[in-house]
Amino acid sequence: MPLSLNTRVLIAASAVLFSFFGLAEITLERIYHDSIEQDMEERMFGHVYALISAAEMGEDGRLIMDKELPDTRFYDPESGLYGQVSSNDGEWLWQSESMRGMSIPFTEGLPRLALDGRQVTLPDGHRLYLFSYGVVWSDSPEPGQDYTFSVAQDMTEFDARIAAFRGSLWGTLGGVALLLLAVQWGILRWGLLPLKHAADELRAIEEGAQTRLKGRYPLELQTLTSNINGLLSHQREHLERYRRTLGDLAHSLKTPLAILQSAAENRDGKEELPSVVLEQVERMNQLTGYQLQRAATSGWTVLSAPIAVQAVVEKVLAGLHKVYADKGVKTHTDLQPGLEFAGDEGDLMEVIGNLTDNAFKWCRGQVHVQACSKAGPRNGEMDLFIHVEDDGPGIPSEMVRYVMQRGRRADSDIAGHGIGLSIVRDIVQLYGGTLEIGESELGGAAVHVWLPAGPKG
Amino acid sequence: MRVLVVEDELRLREELATRLRQEGFVVDQAADGEEGQYLGREYPIDVGVVDLGLPKLSGIDLIRQLRSEGKAFPILILTARDRWQDKVEGLEAGGDDYLVKPFHMEELLARLKALMRRSAGWTQSELIFGALHIDIGTQQVIVDDKSIELTAYEYRVLEYLVLRAGQVVSKSELTEHIYDQDFDRDSNVIEVFIGRLRRKLDPEGRLNVIETLRGRGYRFALTPTSESRNA
Repeated sequence: MPLSLNTRVLIAASAVLFSFFGLAEITLERIYHDSIEQDMEERMFGHVYALISAAEMGEDGRLIMDKELPDTRFYDPESGLYGQVSSNDGEWLWQSESMRGMSIPFTEGLPRLALDGRQVTLPDGHRLYLFSYGVVWSDSPEPGQDYTFSVAQDMTEFDARIAAFRGSLWGTLGGVALLLLAVQWGILRWGLLPLKHAADELRAIEEGAQTRLKGRYPLELQTLTSNINGLLSHQREHLERYRRTLGDLAHSLKTPLAILQSAAENRDGKEELPSVVLEQVERMNQLTGYQLQRAATSGWTVLSAPIAVQAVVEKVLAGLHKVYADKGVKTHTDLQPGLEFAGDEGDLMEVIGNLTDNAFKWCRGQVHVQACSKAGPRNGEMDLFIHVEDDGPGIPSEMVRYVMQRGRRADSDIAGHGIGLSIVRDIVQLYGGTLEIGESELGGAAVHVWLPAGPKG
Repeated sequence: MRVLVVEDELRLREELATRLRQEGFVVDQAADGEEGQYLGREYPIDVGVVDLGLPKLSGIDLIRQLRSEGKAFPILILTARDRWQDKVEGLEAGGDDYLVKPFHMEELLARLKALMRRSAGWTQSELIFGALHIDIGTQQVIVDDKSIELTAYEYRVLEYLVLRAGQVVSKSELTEHIYDQDFDRDSNVIEVFIGRLRRKLDPEGRLNVIETLRGRGYRFALTPTSESRNA
């Protein structure tokens, strides 16, 4: 099973968050480290100046370090702050009292104004920061007498400050990262809530608790949910029609069955029986045929490609030319190229097939078929318009009345020739279209059908 | 005329066969698509009746197979499905006409005869050769406005030759299309029928209806009058 959306987003977001915070941590620590190092250097410089101001040129041309130093740590043994002054010729040396018994590898012999700062680790494990400065004593009797002033500072405090900073940085950043992850998890839950909601609704539909997705869904999901609703209602209508058709069929068969039964029980009319049976078989055949057609009618399709009208008409006509080869019917077609129908191919074929079959059957030799996009007579919208006419005797007006009758009981008897038109009428009605039966200029029947370009709403 | 009936429903198939034999057809029966394919391949079939819902090989596939193998005999599709989609599919596959179940036997016979006539190039059921009129639908033969009484076999021989008017038909071809396969082919019964036909149709010997081409067979020699033939 593929990872859930939740897990995917969480994994990706955690990776991004942790690499971001990791980099931030390293950078901040670097910056802090540099700044306290600079701070330390400045303080060391201060100490060096204190040493310089404590020094005085003696009579013998040597420096004397007898002034009190301001920082008492220079006097306490192993206080962590150590000082040394040495002449660059190596003949004279002063070391602070705190340095007694210690050996610190100070830099010596620096030229005038030269600075040197570095870290060393003593054999006993102490880390020291060494800072040295080259000085030339201007009032020295011997010109060019150079001295190197050095200060060393224990780095324990420095290291402690870095460690403290790192600790608090990690704590803060880690906390923020965790907080962000939690927030993001919440956002994700909230963002995916409509999907969860849709899944719950679908489950409820499965269980029969509701019939369609009722909730209001965000824009991105609306196509999906409206398609699901379309499929559901399509299926429901189908089911409904099957039920109705099944009921109609069963009821309509009862009459011929009753006739057969009474004919079989009637002892006087034995010789009539075969003709009664044949008559009723024919009737039942027509009824089942008609109802089967009604049940097979699909209606608007959901999620399927539109049907090319031209291809359907051409297929049907090719078939009819075969079947009515003897008649040598001349067909004239006027089919708008690229014309499409958004419904079921079988239904369209049924409409065109029945209309053209009637035309071929009754014509004397000519059939015209037209299909184009044309404004419907009722709503004025662009509909699929199908027009079939022939030069036959035309459709009797009582048949037209019979076929066009509204609300006719479905189980009432259907006349043989009217069955095709009745099927067409049912299909056209289902699609919300219009059927018109008139007279052709060719002398025969002209049938017009308007089918809406797509489902309403 | 040799008809292939492919129908899986036993009762319907037997009834079809019986009725077709009464009408003078030689009948080959198949209960499924594969058997139908075998018979259609191996026997000189003149016309086929194919049900669409068949076991093993569907009727549509059977028709496609036969057509792709070059079998051109006309085929009447029998189907319980009467949606136009099904009809168009059958006709596209190579069927020539369709009949929806249930049907009247007379309707089926009329359609079969029309198919055979059409495949021979005739557009009307009455074939006219000057004084000789033959109605394939009613099996009536008229010479000089007088109805001629023919036996069933005589009529079959005449019908077969007429539908191949102008072509030479060998004796063995005639035998195959007029008798079931267990017939003794060496007998001279065809010659007897031809002789009787000549006497009945043309007692004075002026029409020369059927020619004998020595060693090759027979030929219906009259040319059709009227525009009843279009090919």
